[in-house]
Amino acid sequence: MWSGNVKAAVNSLRTSKWRSLLTMLGIIIGVSSVVTIVSLGQGLKNQILGQINQLGSDVVTVRSGKIVNEDNGGGSSLNFLGLFSASTLSDADVTALKELPSAKAVVPMAFVTNSAKSGNSQLDNVFVIGTSPEMSQVLNQKVKYGEFFTQDSEDTNFAVIGPNIAHKIYGELNPVGQSIEVLGESFVIRGILSQSSGGLFSIAQTDFNSAVFIPFSHAKRLTDNRLNILQIVVRGQNPDNLDPTIEEVKKTLLSTHKGQENFSVLKQYELLSIASGVVNTITGFISGIAAISLLVGGIGIMNIMLVSVSERTREIGIRKALGATNRQILSQFLVEGMALSIGGGLIGIIASAVIYFGLRIYTDLQPVITLPVVALAVLVSVSLGIIFSVAPALKAARKDPIQALRGD
Amino acid sequence: MALIELQEVSKLYGFGDATTLALDEVTLSIEKGQFVAVMGPSGSGKTTLMNILGLLDRPTHGPYVLDGRHVSRLRSNQQAKVRRDRIGFVFQSYNLLTRLNVLENVALPLAYRGMTPVRRQKQASDMLERVGLREREYFFPRHLSGGQAQRAAIARALINKPSIIIADEPTGNLDSTDSKVVMELFADIHRQGNTILLVTHNPELTRYAERVLYMHDGMIVGDETTAIGNMARGARKTYFERRKVSDDDIVAGVSALMRDVPGKELAAKSDSEKGRSKKSTSKRRTRKVKR
Ligand SMILES: Nc1ncnc2c1ncn2[C@@H]1O[C@H](COP(=O)(O)OP(=O)(O)OP(=O)(O)O)[C@@H](O)[C@H]1O
Ligand SMILES: [Mg+2]
Repeated sequence: MWSGNVKAAVNSLRTSKWRSLLTMLGIIIGVSSVVTIVSLGQGLKNQILGQINQLGSDVVTVRSGKIVNEDNGGGSSLNFLGLFSASTLSDADVTALKELPSAKAVVPMAFVTNSAKSGNSQLDNVFVIGTSPEMSQVLNQKVKYGEFFTQDSEDTNFAVIGPNIAHKIYGELNPVGQSIEVLGESFVIRGILSQSSGGLFSIAQTDFNSAVFIPFSHAKRLTDNRLNILQIVVRGQNPDNLDPTIEEVKKTLLSTHKGQENFSVLKQYELLSIASGVVNTITGFISGIAAISLLVGGIGIMNIMLVSVSERTREIGIRKALGATNRQILSQFLVEGMALSIGGGLIGIIASAVIYFGLRIYTDLQPVITLPVVALAVLVSVSLGIIFSVAPALKAARKDPIQALRGD
Repeated sequence: MALIELQEVSKLYGFGDATTLALDEVTLSIEKGQFVAVMGPSGSGKTTLMNILGLLDRPTHGPYVLDGRHVSRLRSNQQAKVRRDRIGFVFQSYNLLTRLNVLENVALPLAYRGMTPVRRQKQASDMLERVGLREREYFFPRHLSGGQAQRAAIARALINKPSIIIADEPTGNLDSTDSKVVMELFADIHRQGNTILLVTHNPELTRYAERVLYMHDGMIVGDETTAIGNMARGARKTYFERRKVSDDDIVAGVSALMRDVPGKELAAKSDSEKGRSKKSTSKRRTRKVKR
């Protein structure tokens, strides 16, 4: 009976192709947008994860602004403004932190966006990071060619560049020893980082693959002291127990900031959970909006099914005269509604696959489609089909045979 | 015991002032294997009677016993199953499903019995062979002539080997040649032992029946046993009376006719011929001219 119903349903949808397609459109749009948004969110999370992993796990990060609001219940919420306002961290903080006994290394990271030039080739929007030689100790990425600038060479115009910069400017050549012009001054390239899995996005906008590292003092000088210290990375003496380090850092900074806690001291995993929390919130929010179109799509199916039931009143009458039970009529229309919604769901998934490849090929976004998301999309469209076909199918099943035969 | 037993069965439509008594305490018994023709003017309750006998409708009063079983008070699902297994319908307007081909149409009742697709195709195909439509299996209803469509509908009615075939004006939309083909098919089915109930306005068709019921105002007013091949006497009267009807009489309307002819059932007969059938015949004629 079911196989027959499915065949009949597909047949009936084929006879009115355009109508079926238009009916499915709501589901198609809903499914493909939810899948795409979730896959983008997943990709973003992966990228951020890779990003944060660019720093070792035994470090404490000091961020400008109070990013996390800790409430009394022990939970924490995010203060988005903290991510975007001007930095509250200063040179003085760095100096003060360097005095701490439990800090093995204190690495300021200041960011400026600038162009990088060498010979005829120029790259715009390069992240120029002013930092100290200890950067190499907190960095997960190895220096592939050459070496990081050292304490002795801090006054010299040395730079270390990310692999993407190296590739884009120098191609296959090894640029160690070449010169690169950033912030209006020429630097000699001392080393090149190895590629890391970092991506385009991060709450700190730091992709070390496309960054130029220069000594902190030069960065300060070249920007007339208007340098934004986005974060200070502190490496503790004891990597297994960072808590004392965190306490000390907090205390020190509170005193340099005159008691104002306009900074955050975070462990790596905290950063991670904050980042994925942000992404989850945003993804969930947008998916929720997209899911409304699923609902609208479901209502569209119900609408068309109701039309179809009244159009086919006579057919229902004939089928009943031939001995179809109410349940058989019911399942016929249920299957038809489900065929619409599952069809819409499948087309939606195909559409999101197309969007996925489009995004991967034509943009820097790296969406990730996971099986649970696809399974969920199918499940949702099946349930929508059932839920929104019940009313029309019941209407069909309950028709009185003679009235239906007369066509009213 | 007879195949069909009705005991003072009534059917009321509507309520209050608008109540229609479509069947008025009809008592009827039909034996297995009988070919019964039902005649009567428009609105006399023929279709209502067929709907009740076919379990498409429930009587307001009175029991209906089909093959020893009280069926009029069964739940609608049970009734559907009785319809499926014991009753074959043939309608005036064929009522084939337009989106299914001939074979699928004929196989449909088998599907509702849960038979596998392969078996039902085979059986439907055999049945189409029997009505001479084997080579039209994959045609869609819109590509069939009226006669072919009605033969396909008969094949569909027969597919579940029903106890009764109910045909409500099956030749109403057919020209005389197609009518004859369809009626010969019914005669053939009857010879093989099937029970047939045929509603008709055409007295000629009583030749195929062995019993003719005349209805008027929801009552059976005449019940005549007749030899197959002969036109029933009651019907014959109508037949000849109708010849005398002039256009003036038609204009004069029903009441005039009713006074003119003996036996109210026959008079009303002419009325219905005037009212409906003639209209449709003339329509058919014009269509034929166009072809
Ligand atoms: N659903 C209904 N509601 C109200 N009245 C109805 C309904 N169906 C039939 N009737 C009435 O019942 C009476 C019998 O109708 P029925 O259709 O049985 O006549 P019939 O003998 O088949 O006529 P015809 O020769 O025109 O087909 C008529 O008066 C009709 O108006
Ligand atoms: Mg009728």
